[in-house]
Order: sequence, then structure tokens, then C-alpha cells
Amino acid sequence: MAGRTGAWALEARAIVAITRKDLRILTRYPLEVFNQIGQPIYQFVIPSLLLGATFAVGGRAVGLEETAGTGDVAGFLILGMLVAYLVGAAFWGIGYSFKREMDQATLEPAWLTPVARETLVLGRGLSALVLSAIGIVLMLAIAVALFGVRLSPAIVLAVPAFLLAALAVLGVAFLISSAVLLIKEPVFWVDASDALFAAASGVMFPITVLPGFLKLVSFALPTTYAIDLLRVTGLGARPLLDPVLQYAALAMLAAILLPLGRAVFAWADRRLREQGTVGQH
Amino acid sequence: MDARALTKVFERGRRTWIQRLRREPDHRERFVAVDGIELRVEQGEIFGMLGPNGAGKTTTMRILATLLLPTSGAARVLGIDVREQPREVRRRFGAVLSGERSLYWKLTARENLEYFAALYHLPPRRTRERIESVLDAVKLTDRADDYVERYSMGMRQRLVLARALLPDPPLLLLDEPTVGLDPQAARDMRERVLELRSEGKTVLLTTHYMEEADQLCDRVAIIDHGRIVALDTPTALKRTIQAEEVVRLEIAAEADGVVSRLSENAQVARQERADGLLHLTMHTVSARDFVPRAFDAARAAGATIKHVEVVPVTLEDVFLALTGRALRE
Amino acid sequence: MLLLELRAFGAAAVREWRQLRRYPTFGLGLLFWPIVLPAMYVLQARGYSGGDQRAIDAFAERSGTNEIAGFLFIGWSMYMWLSIVLWGPGTLLRTEQVRGSLEALFLTPASRIGILFGPAVAHLVPALWMYVVVGIALRFGFGLVVEPAAVLRAAVVILLAVPALYGMGALFATLVLRVGEVVGPIQVVRGVFTVLCGITFPIVILPDLARSAALALPPTYIIADLRAVLLTGADLVDLVPDLAILLGAGVVLCALAAVAFRRAEAYARRGGRLAQY
Ligand SMILES: Nc1ncnc2c1ncn2[C@@H]1O[C@H](COP(=O)(O)OP(=O)(O)OP(=O)(O)O)[C@@H](O)[C@H]1O
Ligand SMILES: [Mg+2]
Repeated sequence: MAGRTGAWALEARAIVAITRKDLRILTRYPLEVFNQIGQPIYQFVIPSLLLGATFAVGGRAVGLEETAGTGDVAGFLILGMLVAYLVGAAFWGIGYSFKREMDQATLEPAWLTPVARETLVLGRGLSALVLSAIGIVLMLAIAVALFGVRLSPAIVLAVPAFLLAALAVLGVAFLISSAVLLIKEPVFWVDASDALFAAASGVMFPITVLPGFLKLVSFALPTTYAIDLLRVTGLGARPLLDPVLQYAALAMLAAILLPLGRAVFAWADRRLREQGTVGQH
Repeated sequence: MDARALTKVFERGRRTWIQRLRREPDHRERFVAVDGIELRVEQGEIFGMLGPNGAGKTTTMRILATLLLPTSGAARVLGIDVREQPREVRRRFGAVLSGERSLYWKLTARENLEYFAALYHLPPRRTRERIESVLDAVKLTDRADDYVERYSMGMRQRLVLARALLPDPPLLLLDEPTVGLDPQAARDMRERVLELRSEGKTVLLTTHYMEEADQLCDRVAIIDHGRIVALDTPTALKRTIQAEEVVRLEIAAEADGVVSRLSENAQVARQERADGLLHLTMHTVSARDFVPRAFDAARAAGATIKHVEVVPVTLEDVFLALTGRALRE
Repeated sequence: MLLLELRAFGAAAVREWRQLRRYPTFGLGLLFWPIVLPAMYVLQARGYSGGDQRAIDAFAERSGTNEIAGFLFIGWSMYMWLSIVLWGPGTLLRTEQVRGSLEALFLTPASRIGILFGPAVAHLVPALWMYVVVGIALRFGFGLVVEPAAVLRAAVVILLAVPALYGMGALFATLVLRVGEVVGPIQVVRGVFTVLCGITFPIVILPDLARSAALALPPTYIIADLRAVLLTGADLVDLVPDLAILLGAGVVLCALAAVAFRRAEAYARRGGRLAQY
């Protein structure tokens, strides 16, 4: 039997193999690659930018200056999108992909191997992140070249926030994966919760415009803080709360969501073994 | 590998949260798919589970493969409990459960195997060599770099077997390995299975083709309604029905007396009326002795025998004798 | 003969409706998205206006209306209608192709037109339903009051838009048959419309080139006309040129779709791809 470190290396190799397999299959659907990377841009960023332009006064976003403390509409949206890609990776790249594998009947053979179940989630996550990273880089390039967005170097201060949010979102991904494995028709639920999660995190607007109770939801989401810290550091936007407090909230949420997600996923795996529905869909 | 008192109860329908909160009685229908299966598979043998549709073969297989938790009972694979240490168990078997669909059609055979090799925790150094060897074992080497979507069904089935062989497991679980294959491909598959035994592997397979069970298996468990109704070598099983030959008769007759007259000379295993004819299946020690007497008996009862067929005893007849039903109904 | 054709047409519509209904979350989606999607952009507009009168005036000047919520809901309802039109027949033909039942359909003597457009009729039901949901949300969620006469005018606009939209849907379905994929092409096509047709913005703010492109797409007219009759009290008479363009485009698109479908069939017959992936 391999030792402890050997076991880790084998799981890591499995993660890489899953990512490789996902990307290999994707290359056979060029249109899908284009969409996964480009869709947030043409479906969301551009319409939002144009709506912003409709409100501009003499080229200045006076309204956004008031609500967010920054007049840089493109910068505002793109930093939001950075986190939205993360959320999309969790909901679609990880969660929904289990449904696809079930439909293709390829989940069961994976389930029959000695690989840890969580490795299957992490492998998915890595391939989703690779695609997201391409999208993010592309979008940043467009933002800088076409819209003259200038991000302050201080944005590096928000990088830990982004990473903490990624951990918390991984917890959410475990939750979504569990739901996808147990629910019969998950498309609508994944789609709807992805959109609500992103919206409530303030991807497309400052959460101060939300009605009271929805604002409470926003403050329960790790992504809200990550987006805000990115905008505060990168664009000099007005912070929602004291950044120190935001970091504390983020760390706490990551510390809750990740273990919670893993526990629920283990429970879902057990339910599947009771019902015997891994291969049946 | 052994299983003791293995039972699986499925619940049909669902219980809503409201019903749970109100603690309403559970109205879900319970369905016993596996009902106290006991079996022990020895190392190096091919063990078959034979039974009609819905008998619980696949369910048993999935419990042993750690995909399903048994409701009660215990099973051990190479001494390891499937309930307690599922991952350790999964290290020790290869399985063909869900058929030829369960591959990535948009990848080549080799790419499929590379992926599963990593999931099976094959050490990187050995991966390439293992892949070549399993491809060779199922005779797919020359097509290894073709996309699976271009494969025929039999080739895909072979690739699924190759995948199961990747970790070089001591035990193989094969759920209906030849279903849907043409006769030639099915014969190939059976030869592969026999080769596996000669390599010292243990094979547990299910089937509802009795010829397959007969030719392939060292021992066969006949399963019906989740229970083992008989378990032995095919030869011993066939011996249980005290007959050497089976005679099938089609008789045009109204008279009831014909059956009782015939049964004086052989055992009536089954009778059935269809198309205005009486179909009888008789078990006999010698057809040569029985057939002439059958004609006499029929004439005496005022009936006419329209057709006679003499066949050797098969496992089908064993199943018939045990359950009163045909295997495929 | 015509009667038989009509029956085949009706059967295609009914079959499609039955399939739609069996899709359990379909109804939920039709309740959720028509409200939530535009509402998110209304919130975004709040973020952009920030209660600053100058920003609100800038919007009114460019869009011709103060009704921000109405403006956005109408834009997104067009987007959703388009999605229904593209999804429905597109996925239908594609699933028939994958399942191999398209071959069975082609084996019947029914006219190809019925096969192509019949299912679209079933998809009018969700489209109408979506407009009802949008109307209710606007009335009770955002206090937008519209005169009954204006609603009637909007209904006329929608009716006149049907041929153009369903022609696009059918053309798209034929494309899907050739490409062999549904989701990808839908997202691209929808993306093009979102970027150009003024779903979240008045097209006056587009650069010249993009605006010319927008004016070549029927949905641009549908959105603009719906906004005109519902929000700025325009009369149908004012819109006659637009509506004529829409109807004309409808005729051309439907004819194009029919021709393309026939060619796709011929192509498939030659290449034996009717029943293939
Ligand atoms: N996940 C499940 N939930 C509920 N019932 C199930 C489930 N899986 C199997 N069953 C039921 O259990 C019974 C036994 O099924 P099983 O698949 O084990 O039969 P089988 O012997 O493999 O039959 P076949 O020859 O058709 O493959 C069937 O009646 C089936 O409907
Ligand atoms: Mg079975």
C-alpha cells in the first residue's frame, strides 16, 4: 500500500487527469469553448455597459459615483465578473457537470474506482478554473485596451480575499454537486441559483440598491466581500464595511462553508448508495 | 468473496418533508429486490448468477461493487467489508456494470483509458504499459486512437472490459457482459472471460442466457425474486432434475385424460395451452422409450400429437423445475 | 388534402405541447425568469442613476421615456421570447435527429412545412404566458399603468411580429440540423441579439456600424415598437413603416426557412445523416 504522501500524489494525479479529460472533450466542441469563455462578455458585460452609457452625463457616470463611489462603469463590472466566473465555475463547471456525466453514464465507472469522491469534485473545479482564467484575462485585456480601465496596484491587497472567496465558493460547489446528484431535473435550479447568487453578491450593481431583506442575503455571501474589496482596492470605490471586518467575515464564511459543503457531499454520497441511483438517469 | 444474508429493500414513491414533520405514517411501498442472498465465490472460479428480469442480479452486483448499501447483511470482497471500507474494496475489483454507453464518446480509446488509469490510481510509470496490455487483451490495439463514437457496439463493450482490467484486479464483476452483442462478438467475449480465469482471476458474472451460464461458469446460482433457489455446478444442477432428456409435445386435444396418461411414463414439467394446442414439457430418462409410449397414450385418450421435439437438459429446465416458470417470460 | 395537412400540423403542435408540459421545471422557469432577469437590470439601472436627476434625465433623453422598469422589462421579454423560439424548434428537430425519429417523420407523407412550423404553434403558449407574467410584474411590482388600448396595440405588434420571429426560429432549427448542436449556436445567436437589438439600451447609443447592423434585425423593431406603444403612447399609424418592414421580413424569413429545410433534407438524404449524431 502506498504511504500517506503517495496517496496524496495519486489523488492529485487524478485531478489533473479529470481536467485533461474535460479540456480534451471541450476541444471537440469549439463553439462551446467560445461560449463558456465569451458568454459572460456578450451576454452580460456589454448589455450592462450599454445600459450604463445610457445614464452617462457628459461621459461621466455621475449616478454610479454616488452609489458606489467610483465612476468607472467598466472597471466596476469587470471586477464583479471576476468573481462571477468563480461562481459560474462552481455551479456549472462543477455542479452541473455531474448531471452531464450521469446522462452519459460515465459517472458510474468513475464512482467504481478507488479515487476519493471529493477528488472528482476538485478535478472538475480545476478544469472550470482554467476556462475561467482565460475568460478573466480576456476580459481584463478588453477592459484595459478598449475601455481604458486603470486598476490601482493596490488591488493586490484584495488577492487574499479572492482566494478566500474561492475556498468558500468551493464549499458552495460541494453543496450544488450534492443537489445535482440527488435532484432529477437540476438545470433550472442551477441556472436560477447561479444568477441569484451572482446578483446578490453585487456583480452587476452596488448592493446598496437592494431592498432591505435582500441586502441581508448579500451580507451572508462570501462573494459580496470579495467583490467589494476588489473594487475598493482596484478602483478606489467606497467600501461597504470596514475592509478589516470584511476580511474577517470572509475568513469566517470560508471556515463554515467548506466543511459544511464537504459534510453535505458525504451525506449525499451515502444517500446515493442507499438509493442506488448513481447510474440511473 | 462472500455474502451473508444480503438484503436490499427499495422504497418506491417519496415521502415529503411535510409528511416527515407531521410524523405521518410512512406509506411508501417497500420492494425487496434482494432477499437474503448467501454466496461464497472461491478464488479463481467463474461464478454465474442466472435469473429472469428483475430477479435482483444487478442489485446484488451493485452491492458487491460498493455502489449500493445493503439494507441488511454483510458482504466481503477478499476479506474486506463492502460497507465499512468501500474504497479498499474498490481497489481490488474491476467491473463492467453499465454497458457500452459508459465511455466518453468524444475521446479515443486510449484517452479514455488514460483518464480511468489515473482514477484507478495506477502509478504513472506503469500506466502506459498497462494500457497497451489491456488494449491488446481485448484486441483493440489497432483502433486505439479512434474516437469511441466511431466504434461498433461490440468494440465499445470490449473497451469497457479493458477499462475494468486496467488495475489488474484479482476480481472482476461483469453484469451481463454479452447482452446486445451479435453471436460472434458474444463468443469472443466469452473467450476473454475464460482467458481471465486461466490467468487466475476470479470472475462473478450475471446473465440470463442459460447457455452462457452453462458453458462459462464453474458454479451457477439461480436467482429468482431476490433469492437463490439453487447453487451448484451446471452439471450438478442439471442432474437434480432426474432426467436425461426433455421432450416437448404439442397435442391437439380436448380430453383431460391425456396428461395423466402421459405422466405415467415421464414427469410433466410444464403444461400450457396456446393456439388451441396443449404444449407439454416432459422430463424423461430416455426419449427413445418415452416417445412411442406417448403416441400410444395420446391415441388412447383420443388426442393427436402434432409435434415432438427432443432436447438435452439445460439450466432452463432446472429453473423451470424449481419455479414453475420459464426463464424468459 | 389540405385538411389532412392541417391535421398533421395540429398533431405536431399537440405532440410538442405534451412534451413541453412533461418537462417539470419548464413552468417554474417561465415564472421565474420573466420577473427576475429584468428586475436585476432595473436594480442595475438604480445603481447607475443613483437618484441623480442629471443621470435620470440623460436616460429619458436617450430612450424617450422615464419608465426605466418598463423599458427594461420590454427589452428582456423580447429576449425571452427569442429564447423560446430558438430553443423550441431547434432542440426539437435535434432530439428527433438524435433519437432517429426524424427519419420516421420524413417517412410520413406530411408536408415538411408542417413538421417545421407545427411545433412553433405550441411555443406560442409559453410566449403569451411570459408576456402575461411580465405585464403583471410591471403593474404590481413597479406600478406601471398602461391603458387597455395600448395593451391592444401591443398585442397587434406582437401578432405582426410572429412570422418574422418564427421564421427565424425555423431557419435556426434547420441550421441546428446541419451543425448537429443546439446549445452552442443558441448562445451565440442570442448573444448577437443581446448586444445589438437594444434589449437593455436604446440603440441610439450604439456606434454607427453596430446601429446599422441592429436595424437589419427584426427584433430591434419589435422591441422599439413595443416600447413606443406601451411607454410613449405611440399610435399604430406612427409605426406603419416599422410594421411593414416586420411583416416583409416575416414573409422572407419563412420562405427562406422552408427552402433551407428542404435543402437540409436533401443534403441529409445524400449523406445519410438524418438519423445520425
Ligand atoms: N434504484 C432502485 N430503486 C428502486 N427499485 C429498484 C432500483 N434498482 C432496481 N430496482 C428494482 O429491483 C428489482 C431487481 O432489479 P435488478 O436490476 O437487480 O434485476 P436483474 O436481476 O438485474 O434484472 P435484469 O435481468 O433485467 O437485469 C427490479 O424489480 C427493479 O425494478
Ligand atoms: Mg440486470
